[in-house]
Amino acid sequence: MTKPDQSEGDRARDEVLAGEYVLGVLPAEKRQQVEQRIRCDRAFAAMVARWQENLSSMDDEYVPQVPSEAVFPQVQQRLFSRGSQQAQHSGFGRRLWSSAPVWRTLALTSFLMLIGVAIFGLQPPSSLKTGGQMQAQLKGQDGTNISLLANYEPRSGRLTMMPVANPQSEPKSLELWMIDGNAPPVSLGVIPDTANGDVIVPDTMRRRIANGVTLAVSLEPKGGSPSLGPTGPVLLSGQMLAR
Amino acid sequence: MFLTEEIIRLKQMTVSDVMQPNVPWKVSAMGETDLPDLLARVALQDRVAFHALYVAVSPKLFGICLRLLKVRNDAEDALQEIFVKIWYRADRFVGGQTSAMPWLCAIARNHSLDMLRSRKQETENLDDEMDSLVDDALDPEAQTVISGEGRRIDRCMQELDPDRAQAVRAAYVDGMSYQELAERYDVPLNTMRTWLRRSLLKLRECMDR
Repeated sequence: MTKPDQSEGDRARDEVLAGEYVLGVLPAEKRQQVEQRIRCDRAFAAMVARWQENLSSMDDEYVPQVPSEAVFPQVQQRLFSRGSQQAQHSGFGRRLWSSAPVWRTLALTSFLMLIGVAIFGLQPPSSLKTGGQMQAQLKGQDGTNISLLANYEPRSGRLTMMPVANPQSEPKSLELWMIDGNAPPVSLGVIPDTANGDVIVPDTMRRRIANGVTLAVSLEPKGGSPSLGPTGPVLLSGQMLAR
Repeated sequence: MFLTEEIIRLKQMTVSDVMQPNVPWKVSAMGETDLPDLLARVALQDRVAFHALYVAVSPKLFGICLRLLKVRNDAEDALQEIFVKIWYRADRFVGGQTSAMPWLCAIARNHSLDMLRSRKQETENLDDEMDSLVDDALDPEAQTVISGEGRRIDRCMQELDPDRAQAVRAAYVDGMSYQELAERYDVPLNTMRTWLRRSLLKLRECMDR
């Protein structure tokens, strides 16, 4: 991370190290140290990304060569054979997440739910006359990681829909990230599972949320990612565009 | 949609068609603009898209492996690992912000370099004194990633002494270590290291102008 008192010398040193890494001249041990640093030092990771981009024009010198026909079947074997159930499992989860029917079902459920609320709102059953709040968790099909928590406040008629992580073997949180270009994701905060789902963006980040950045939601251990970047799967993402 | 046509065409092709060198559509029909689309589909674990991606980019990536690792078997092992990584990392590719081909090439280069460096187990007992370089320190404001710097690097490379530009190129393209570069240019190891480091600083300074 860039410290305010980081001297120009340090910065030059880091620039050179990042450049040496991308050039490829570093020995194995040093490469590993640099890779470790890329994972936890955003400013340094940005330097590496910039060198990568700058030097990539030399990729033109690599002449395409046709590999043996055996390579792709071996890749498939490694990824998709019965031995690699993990890949298939996570594949299923992700397909589910990208599946239109799942979302349509979810949307329809929430719509019906809203209609139900509207009807009940017009003719509140006795339990609602007390003004007590109500809550429903709207789930998709089994295997989804996220659901919507509907909080209904009968007096005001306000129904808030809040994304929450499904309880799994251990409690999880949803964390919101901003991704700007090549830079590593920056956390905007954990989506609270109380209150109304609002995430208040830290002061320092407000100006960085600009047209074109990507927002993403990842599944993290309860309370948020233990490291600087996301550690769990990215469940949802989308680009921020000016309206 | 283009991709649908692509998939249909892929299904109609036999393996030997696909593996033919110089099949013209590989280059012409699979332009850079389509790779982000394929990567997005691979991120959703679409195996057809993964095959299409393999067909489109494996020759280029294999060219990288072969150039860096020299030995064909090693290069094919590397290629296998690289595509396993691509399968798992496709969701980290942010379309529209990074170009797909350089991103893929970087995965291939990094993996090949890791193999190359661990194969040699070099003992570079260089002490890390960079103080003499600090004079050329960078403009502290020049920290943000400027996209589209693209070809400016070519002009900046021309500003370097031809020898040093060649050394930078040999390091990047052939994966030569400081030791190998020192031998090739017949200079002491530390001299070579200073050459390259100063060249990197000059390049950075030139890119920032």
